[in-house]
Amino acid sequence: MATSQDDTTSPAWLQLRVEADREAVEPVSELLARHGYQNGIVVQEPIVDELSWGEYVTDPNKPVVLTTYIRQDEASETSLQAVREGLWHLGRIRPVGELEVTRHTEQDWTETWQSYYKVMRVGRRTVIKPSWLEYEPRPEDVVLDLNPGMAFGTGLHPTTRLCLRAIEERLRPGVRALDLGAGSGILAVLMAKLGAAEVVALDTDPVAVDATHDSAERNGVAGAIRVGQGSLDAAEGAYGFIAANIIANVIIELADGLAEALAPGGALVVSGIIEDRYEEVALSLAAAGLHLADLLREGDWVAIVAEKR
Amino acid sequence: MAKKVKAIVKLQIPAGKATPAPPVGPALGQHGVAIMNFVKEYNERTAAQAGNVIPVEITIFEDRSFSFVTKTPPAADLLRKAAGVDKGSGVPNKQTVGRVSRDQVREIAELKLKDLNAYDIDQAMKMIEGTARSMGIEVAA
Repeated sequence: MATSQDDTTSPAWLQLRVEADREAVEPVSELLARHGYQNGIVVQEPIVDELSWGEYVTDPNKPVVLTTYIRQDEASETSLQAVREGLWHLGRIRPVGELEVTRHTEQDWTETWQSYYKVMRVGRRTVIKPSWLEYEPRPEDVVLDLNPGMAFGTGLHPTTRLCLRAIEERLRPGVRALDLGAGSGILAVLMAKLGAAEVVALDTDPVAVDATHDSAERNGVAGAIRVGQGSLDAAEGAYGFIAANIIANVIIELADGLAEALAPGGALVVSGIIEDRYEEVALSLAAAGLHLADLLREGDWVAIVAEKR
Repeated sequence: MAKKVKAIVKLQIPAGKATPAPPVGPALGQHGVAIMNFVKEYNERTAAQAGNVIPVEITIFEDRSFSFVTKTPPAADLLRKAAGVDKGSGVPNKQTVGRVSRDQVREIAELKLKDLNAYDIDQAMKMIEGTARSMGIEVAA
């Protein structure tokens, strides 16, 4: 079979969509999951629009819509054929709708959420500004100009806001700072703008590395931020301030290393932690010899500030 | 005041391993949800269940904020594990690929009861049996 590698810049996806009655949802799900990318499927429940406030009411008269995605490549025709056959056979047992196949590229969904991204004030003077919007800053404002794409760190998530607040409160100008798990680079940019002498921004994801470069340039602090791909072992030297907004498991795993990377008198803010995991993370930081200095909360998310005394 | 619900989206994805790729990206992006926020939350909340498919029900509100609850693994997944088969039958009306006992069906029905639209365990078992049949998994009498 001939293979084509021409269009590698923006991978195309095939969306496979089928309507099914409630009884057929499980077997159709199983069939789609067997062929879909990462075995993932989407089930969209029909809701009664005017009755759905806070809670929702499903509409029993409308079909459930099931969707999966496959990469468009030389193998996709085979998968499609298998799904069609599977649906035909299921159709002998239960009523199942026609399979609809449409082609999509990543732009179709990566940009839609941006229209809901607004200028946002966090803490006392930090302001997040999507780059496509205008904002007239007040004299004391520290404006973060962002276009995060698919990297984490828009300011729309509580953990990002908790870290921004902690940085605003605790970062002393002139320190050497580390942003571990930089994502969009939002925290690194704030650290640079608040006067950190040097900021090292690391992430294991190449998408985040690119996004951080972009954020540093966009905010005129590229000279103060050194961006690299990697985790804690790529962070050389000691830091007066460290931010690590990752997830509980990773922070627990890195606790000793984080304590080691902190300079005496330095402070660390960690987040990406749901309330239920607070104790575990706090214990791991304490076991690494750090002193817990503050706990910030928003919703059921927490950020922990710890110090090396 | 309660927020207006815009859409209900259920995803079946591997626990702890969500990415912005399909199906997560398009399923949430089309409703204006910041995809990475969901990815981070889902992975953090399901990290302990890695290796299982954990369905998640996401409520998307008119202001594009969202909340979600995780559910029990899909019945099809549990049936496959119970029958010891990798996948269901491609031709369930003709070919069976494995069998499960009534006790196994009861066990699955009990686990799934809170997520099924069933009034009692007998009705839940009937639903699980129906799913089994559609997958070409036989239920031992």
